[in-house]
Amino acid sequence: MLRPWLRQCPRTVRALCPRCQRDPPRFLPIVSNQTPRRSLQTSTADSSDRVPLRKQLKQDAKSLKAHKRQRRESEEASRQKWELTVGIEIHAQLNTDAKLFSRASTSSTDSPNSNVALFDLAFPGSQPEFQIATLLPALRAAIALNCDIQPVSRFDRKHYFYQDQPAGYQITQYYEPFARNGHVDLFLHDGIAPEDGDQVPIGIKQVQLEQDTAKSQEYPPSTQLLDFNRVSHPLIEIITMPQIHTPATAAACVRKIQAILQSCSAVTTGMEFGGLRADVNVSIRQRGEVAGTHHYGGMTGLGQRTEIKNLSSFKAVEDAIIAEKNRQISVLESGGVVEGETRGWTIGSTETRKLRGKEGEVDYRYMPDPDIPPLYIGPDLVTELRKTLPTASDALIATLVGSEYHLPIEDAKPLVELDDGARLEYYQDVVDVLRDLQSDQDPKAQAGLGRAAGNWVLHELGGLWTKSDLAWDADRVPASSLAALIDQLQRKHVTGPTAKQVLAMVFDGDARSIPQLLEEENLLLRPLSREEYLALAEEAISQNPQMVEQIRSKNQLGKLGWFVGHMMRTGEKGRVEAHKADSVLRELILGPP
Amino acid sequence: MSLLREAERCIINQTSHAALNAFITPLQRSGQWRECVREADLRSEQGKPKSKVDGRLVSVKDNICTREFPTTCASAILKDFSSPFNATVVEQLNDAGAVVAGKTNLDEFGMGSHSIYSSFGPVQNSRVSHDQEALSSGGSSGGSAVAVATDQCFAALGTDTGGSVRLPAAYTGTFGFKPSYGLVSRWGVVAYANSLDTVGILGKRVSDVQDVFGILNQHDRRDPTNLSPSSRSRILSNLQMPKFASRMTSRPLRVGFPVEYNIQELAPSVRRAWSSTLDRMRKQGHTILPVSLPTTKSALSAYYVLAPAEASSNLAKYDGVRYGTRSEGGDMHPGEALYATTRGEGFGQEVQRRILLGAFSLSADAMDNYFIQAQRVRRLVQKDFNDVFAANEPLSSLQPNEGQEPDDGVDILICPTAPSSPPKISKLLDPSATTPLDGYMNDVFTVPASLAGLPAISIPSTTDCHEGDDEGPAGIQVIGQYGDDDLVLQTADYLVRSNS
Repeated sequence: MLRPWLRQCPRTVRALCPRCQRDPPRFLPIVSNQTPRRSLQTSTADSSDRVPLRKQLKQDAKSLKAHKRQRRESEEASRQKWELTVGIEIHAQLNTDAKLFSRASTSSTDSPNSNVALFDLAFPGSQPEFQIATLLPALRAAIALNCDIQPVSRFDRKHYFYQDQPAGYQITQYYEPFARNGHVDLFLHDGIAPEDGDQVPIGIKQVQLEQDTAKSQEYPPSTQLLDFNRVSHPLIEIITMPQIHTPATAAACVRKIQAILQSCSAVTTGMEFGGLRADVNVSIRQRGEVAGTHHYGGMTGLGQRTEIKNLSSFKAVEDAIIAEKNRQISVLESGGVVEGETRGWTIGSTETRKLRGKEGEVDYRYMPDPDIPPLYIGPDLVTELRKTLPTASDALIATLVGSEYHLPIEDAKPLVELDDGARLEYYQDVVDVLRDLQSDQDPKAQAGLGRAAGNWVLHELGGLWTKSDLAWDADRVPASSLAALIDQLQRKHVTGPTAKQVLAMVFDGDARSIPQLLEEENLLLRPLSREEYLALAEEAISQNPQMVEQIRSKNQLGKLGWFVGHMMRTGEKGRVEAHKADSVLRELILGPP
Repeated sequence: MSLLREAERCIINQTSHAALNAFITPLQRSGQWRECVREADLRSEQGKPKSKVDGRLVSVKDNICTREFPTTCASAILKDFSSPFNATVVEQLNDAGAVVAGKTNLDEFGMGSHSIYSSFGPVQNSRVSHDQEALSSGGSSGGSAVAVATDQCFAALGTDTGGSVRLPAAYTGTFGFKPSYGLVSRWGVVAYANSLDTVGILGKRVSDVQDVFGILNQHDRRDPTNLSPSSRSRILSNLQMPKFASRMTSRPLRVGFPVEYNIQELAPSVRRAWSSTLDRMRKQGHTILPVSLPTTKSALSAYYVLAPAEASSNLAKYDGVRYGTRSEGGDMHPGEALYATTRGEGFGQEVQRRILLGAFSLSADAMDNYFIQAQRVRRLVQKDFNDVFAANEPLSSLQPNEGQEPDDGVDILICPTAPSSPPKISKLLDPSATTPLDGYMNDVFTVPASLAGLPAISIPSTTDCHEGDDEGPAGIQVIGQYGDDDLVLQTADYLVRSNS
């Protein structure tokens, strides 16, 4: 259901399941737009191995932190003074077999220039043939973005000369797009800036169908190779209202829209593979000042905007906006004027660069395409598609964090996003079986099952998957097995460590049922008697009188944990329960409560 | 005469009239075509011809794609271009047994009224002025018209965007028919202005035109502007209503003459031809009525905004990258716009003029004043016609008014094709004597039917030449309501027969 942008970025996925990560800590790049996941990234540092460079690294991290804090503070100061306004245009390749106006295939893996029809090459005398099937993913996207589907829409020609544009124009929907007035809601867990509060609704002005261009490859000084396979691949362009006021929220908006498009199978690939590109419009105005004179998308009183073209990652969106905002502020603060112009951004850079000024601005000379009839979309089609659309991720997350499952938001989000929704489906299966198995338990215990299952599915099992570096497969550890295991754990028939050990065995191919496995491997918890605990504790105490003294005289209670561990190591494997060991130790060392 | 003899005679005429420059690519003396015509002769002997044009030579304007001949559009930018496919109309002719008689000369990409803007040189009318000077053949299908007039083929295909079939027919004394927009496939017809471009037919007799039209008047799914079978049957059933089916059969015609067409600039000979045609019809019992088409005056201006706008868009594809001629030395000169060299060298003067006109009228600051206004005028022109015709426009959302009596409108309009007879080429080529606007003026009577997509035919005028007239032939135009193509052709045929 949800194709995760995470999966295509393995480093981030690993960072998602840090509790199970056993690799030595990696030097993770500082990724500033990963706010929602930061809480999950904390534990990698407490590995105790002594790296010679550790001190150095620590200092580096510290100075970087200080630098970031400084930057944050100056950002905040300028934010108090200047209001940023951002609108986004997102171009996404639709998930369809045929091109927009020819029967040629959209396959992108074939050899160059093998999927081209006469019209794709703009041969004289050829005419467009609209492929109705391309409408379906476009409609799914527009419905998922809460748009009003227009009963009549039309195609227009947008003119400009470039070698990747064979007709000299792109066919798009400029005057009458097929969808208008949508919105997308951004929440804290979507990574919006803290100053934006808990939730930001962003209006979608319109969604339009249009053609992609050819792929061109430059071989300096004078060769350009052109692959027309991509020409006329159907795209949708999504235009948001200029309602975004922070760079992080802009990035979150693109990320969220991509996730929505992927969740309804409207697109095949995300930004990492060039399936999605964003242009951003950036303007600033001084807070409390007289309103600006510009208006965009029905928003009035804005400052002069500039457009930054072709941003190909979420980070680029955020960084380019920050850089452009700061450039505009320094222009205005030094008494200059912001020019309406098109600018570009290179990944890793700190400044946007001017591509062309207003005088060089292309007049696209939009003209209704005289060959293509209007597109009539019946309400029945829209209704049918609406019915078959998967539940929106916002609604799924709301359910997961709600009273039925009690999942923390940081677990709910990856569950929804991972493995095209397969992880969520698996989780649902585990919970269903587990609830059945636990139906004899009291309501309080039952209420915690959703959370327990989430922990095991996402972190314990997730950790095994991450370590194996394999793609998700729901059958590797059947949902019923995991549920049975959690059931045993909940009933205290096994200890936590034993349960993890059993999970690893099943993951590695042990096909026995959980009860059989526990029985045959002698893993069921046979509780120790009080006498046995006392014996273990006394032995530990007698061997380490100094530590006992330290606990008693200096109240170093933390050392009790060492004794618990000692008892677990010396006692019969899997039988010593930590909390019981702890209470016996306290009794012996500190005296009865 | 056998079909082969007839074809051979055409080939001989192609050679002997080579100086008229009607063909860019004539038919070779020997070739596959002989075999085709021989087989057609056999079928004809057996009484089983494939069609009425089986074994006939039909010329094709060189902006219609053919696999076997180059398709140059009379442009330097396509001078060596061969299309990888046949236009649907060419396929239809082939399937009917006809043979393409070569590719005829034209104004580059169809832009012109005298077939003088060709990178292969101007076409010449076979008629000459009294002082033996070469006359305009009309345009842009001048090559097709001259080929028909001089028996270089049986019939010819042209394209008519604003009069490009009718005007040359008027100047060469042939029949030039522009069907309703959307009846004949445009797949493989190189676009000049898609919303106006119509394949037309030139012939020496109305029946020849009808025969060819019968073959081309078919649905083609590859042309998205082509009428669907259901629209076609809707039009047909509309015309089968008694009040329309009775026209020309059981009741005389109601003929309108648009008063706005009687302009001051109308040449006396043309006015005489027009009034004598109307007189003759009145005498034969038809009702002649003055009608008003008030938007006529704006129609020409609207056309010369809309057609160049579409042209500037359609011709953006000619960049020499994927096909066509590329200028030597490439196009990536610093400080120059991309493709400027190729397009500057490849396009002729008139094409460049119209591209610039169109680029201007579509530009952000001019769009509202030109393109949008012109589209409004186009609607008004259409409304003008709907107001005078008894038949409803069959594709409009308005339901046909069943209660409407025939005397509420006319069946057909009759008017001149062009304001004057053909001018001398020398005068047209002399910039001090003629401006481009004079050329545009020639289309004043043909453009309204183009804007409304109506069927119209130009028939040779039958007026006698008066003493002292320095003017040659003129054409009379018959215009019908949308979809009323058969009535237009029948009327043309009637006018010819009633005169002889």
